[in-house]
Amino acid sequence: MLPFIKEAVQQLFSKPSTEKYPAADAPAPEGYRGRIVFHADKCISCGMCERVCAGGAISTTSVETEEGQLITRRFFLGSCTFCANCADFCVKNAIELTTDYHMVARDESELIVEGTYLKKKPAPKKPAAKPEAACSAEPETPTVQPRDDGLPVSDPSKCVYCTLCAKKCPAGAITVDRAAKTWALDEDKCIGCGTCQEVCPKKCIM
Amino acid sequence: MFKKLIDNAASKSPWLFHINAGSCNGCDIELVAVLTPRYDAERLGFKLAGTPRHADIVVVSGPVTVQSLDRVLRTIEQVPEPRVIVTLGSCPRSCNVFKGSYAVAGPLDKYVPIDVSIAGCAPKPEAIIDGLALATKILKEKREAMK
Repeated sequence: MLPFIKEAVQQLFSKPSTEKYPAADAPAPEGYRGRIVFHADKCISCGMCERVCAGGAISTTSVETEEGQLITRRFFLGSCTFCANCADFCVKNAIELTTDYHMVARDESELIVEGTYLKKKPAPKKPAAKPEAACSAEPETPTVQPRDDGLPVSDPSKCVYCTLCAKKCPAGAITVDRAAKTWALDEDKCIGCGTCQEVCPKKCIM
Repeated sequence: MFKKLIDNAASKSPWLFHINAGSCNGCDIELVAVLTPRYDAERLGFKLAGTPRHADIVVVSGPVTVQSLDRVLRTIEQVPEPRVIVTLGSCPRSCNVFKGSYAVAGPLDKYVPIDVSIAGCAPKPEAIIDGLALATKILKEKREAMK
């Protein structure tokens, strides 16, 4: 009997275990995956986030302007699983999941996070090459052909130099320079596993 | 005189009815957590009602499966006006990862208007409290409009 009385008296004078939430602020723990923040200036439009999204929450629209393509990436939080796959796969860390969990909306538009950036047209070198391609019968012809020996080769017309293939290469055979826009393969190191082809967001490795 | 008193009291104590429309149980657990002593939504006046006929706020979780669609609509119809429909988590709002499945008839806004959507998968209990507070506000507005 006595231990129970002791417990009862203790409970009577101890602090309540109820969270004070609406009255006091309750920050989410570190690492909580909440509202998405999209840093549009960092995005290189590789499209990896859209491909790995389980809930199909990410969509992209592009508008042609004189200076280039105006690309809008839209995250619909009402369809998001907050799995952070998009943030994990983003090579430029343009997607961030914050600890903000206050995602209550009366209207659907309040649950949309979006960012717009300008993808500039390539230097005047390319427009000169384009009419040439238009003249040929098949404008879709890839500029490079697959190799006979099974080693990878990248199509420079599609490549966005995201460096994902170089990062994923188990043998470290690929060197990509974003600034110089070069893609180089060390044939002696390459083991022909096909990982680079698999991870390429633009499907430009053959 | 009594009517005014009842109206005043009822606006401070909305009763919830929870419908599971094929949810994975994640959101359901969070909603139950809101009602337990740790978050204790009952101190804010919320109470889980046993029947839809007693409820003011309907909380729907899950992507609305083909099997549950008829039951969900029938249950929501039984809730007297004014009612507020709250979607819990991403599923009823957009079907989330289940979209495109042959077994899913959602999202819910194809059938009934949604008043409040709480995003999250599953939403944090604090977010649910936020959502319910907003639902109470809407309920009050609807009551005023019905007068």
